[in-house]
Amino acid sequence: MKSISLYVPGKTFIYKIDPITKLFYIAVAIIIPIVAPAQIVSYICLAVSLLIILFGKIIKKVLPIISFSAIILVTVVIIQGLFKLDNKTPMFSIGPLTFYKEGLSYALVICMRVFNILFAFSILVLTTKPSDLIESLVRKGLSPKIGYVLDSVLQIIPEMTATMSTITDAQRSRGLETEGKLSTRIKAFFPLIGPVVMNSLVATRERAMALEVRGFNSKREKSFLNEEFKSPYSRVLQWTLTLLLILTILWRILS
Amino acid sequence: MDIDPAFNLNDTLEDIIMNKIVVENLKYRYPLTEELALNDISFEVNEGEFIGIIGENLAGKSTLCQSLVGLVPHFYGGAYGGKVLIDGMEVLKSEISDIALKVGMVFQNPFTQVTGSKLTVYEEIAFGLENMGLERSEMIERIDYALSLLDIYKFKDRNPFDLSGGQMQRMAIAGIIAMKPEIIVLDEPTSQLDPQGSEEVFKAIQDLSHEGITVIMVEHKIEKIAKYSDRVMLMHKGSIVDFDTPKKIFSKDDLEKYGVIAPAFTRICKAFDVKDDNGLYPVTLDEAYDVVVNVNE
Repeated sequence: MKSISLYVPGKTFIYKIDPITKLFYIAVAIIIPIVAPAQIVSYICLAVSLLIILFGKIIKKVLPIISFSAIILVTVVIIQGLFKLDNKTPMFSIGPLTFYKEGLSYALVICMRVFNILFAFSILVLTTKPSDLIESLVRKGLSPKIGYVLDSVLQIIPEMTATMSTITDAQRSRGLETEGKLSTRIKAFFPLIGPVVMNSLVATRERAMALEVRGFNSKREKSFLNEEFKSPYSRVLQWTLTLLLILTILWRILS
Repeated sequence: MDIDPAFNLNDTLEDIIMNKIVVENLKYRYPLTEELALNDISFEVNEGEFIGIIGENLAGKSTLCQSLVGLVPHFYGGAYGGKVLIDGMEVLKSEISDIALKVGMVFQNPFTQVTGSKLTVYEEIAFGLENMGLERSEMIERIDYALSLLDIYKFKDRNPFDLSGGQMQRMAIAGIIAMKPEIIVLDEPTSQLDPQGSEEVFKAIQDLSHEGITVIMVEHKIEKIAKYSDRVMLMHKGSIVDFDTPKKIFSKDDLEKYGVIAPAFTRICKAFDVKDDNGLYPVTLDEAYDVVVNVNE
């Protein structure tokens, strides 16, 4: 059974950094370009994230994420370039359509921020097991119940998909047509969704009981099988990132 | 020393201490239903006993099991009367997580017992131990023991969802055993196992019973119940019909009336009217052999 996760196993330096520090990095990489009064900071943040991705050897997995987002960002560039309210200075025209400088530079800022967010999140999700991330958060005070929900959903959704496939096969073997025209698929949807939902409800109730008898609601302080994931420079990195953020905020206030 | 009125006045102090489970006049009705799922159930179980529960579907076997771990009434709600005492602790007044420290339960469907939040069998078994707040070294010791006992150590690094039904069920049992409960309740734990797997589970559970753990097992595999149980509880429509040794239970003439068929050896001996010295039919191959040899001599 596959888990819904983008994690790519690896051994580069980025895998040796703990999830909390990576979360710090995401926060800083997103906030600094927004707060900083100079556009150049966005490019610097982007470049830093890109370097981490390159040296972390995860660029191959980042590219599909970027390409998918690029399609959406192209529409942002077109709409802002053409229709932004304060568009005044024409840059170029394609037939009857005129692109304006103000709209395009605003679209560029949006693109930079989106890429910044995507790069920063890619560093976290591609190099951190979801279970490690959630365990780290639970250690830092996240409710174990919320942690469980986040953790289990990654595995239980594929499990439900497998159940759906079993039910589809069972219905098909009894003559239900599930493939073909849209109308055929819609007709097949209701006989399939009923058993899937019922099955999921029953399974959820049984799982809840099984969790209860394993002390899920215990008021005792939870312990952990895995040792806490601590990288040697966690503290230094976290303080450096915090300091950078504070300096950027001061820069913004003083400028 | 406070003596709970749930104990019979005739019980000796030793009886009170030895009784791991005391159920008194237990009645239970599920929400939105009219019929009693459990109707005036009373029995006592001693420490280290292996109790088999048999009966047809809807006899109340699973409900009774769930009442021992507190799922009835805490999880379901519904109308509840009477008393269930686990090692002196009243289930109605205790939380399930506290009862879980004394009583472990294994359910019928191994698939829904997987937490879904752990990536390996090893971590899956640790789930209950983490909730108990155990030290890491203690956890490792217990997990290794449980994995070896259930013969699934070789699967320790696998994803729990990648195991077969039988392996998954053994993992579920290991998860409970690792919590070291004083009582283990198993609701048809071998229903998805092959004969070899079933035998292994029964042997593992019997070993636990010999170590002093009290075992309550619902099972339709009558031959296994006859072989491993110290006492058998026959249930029908929410009530206990009889609660005695396997020989006495399976020697009853009206078993089929309660949807139960006696073990094959018992039926063969009944057909040939081969009884032991106490006038009871044998329930296992060894017992049947002994009786037949005695008859021939």
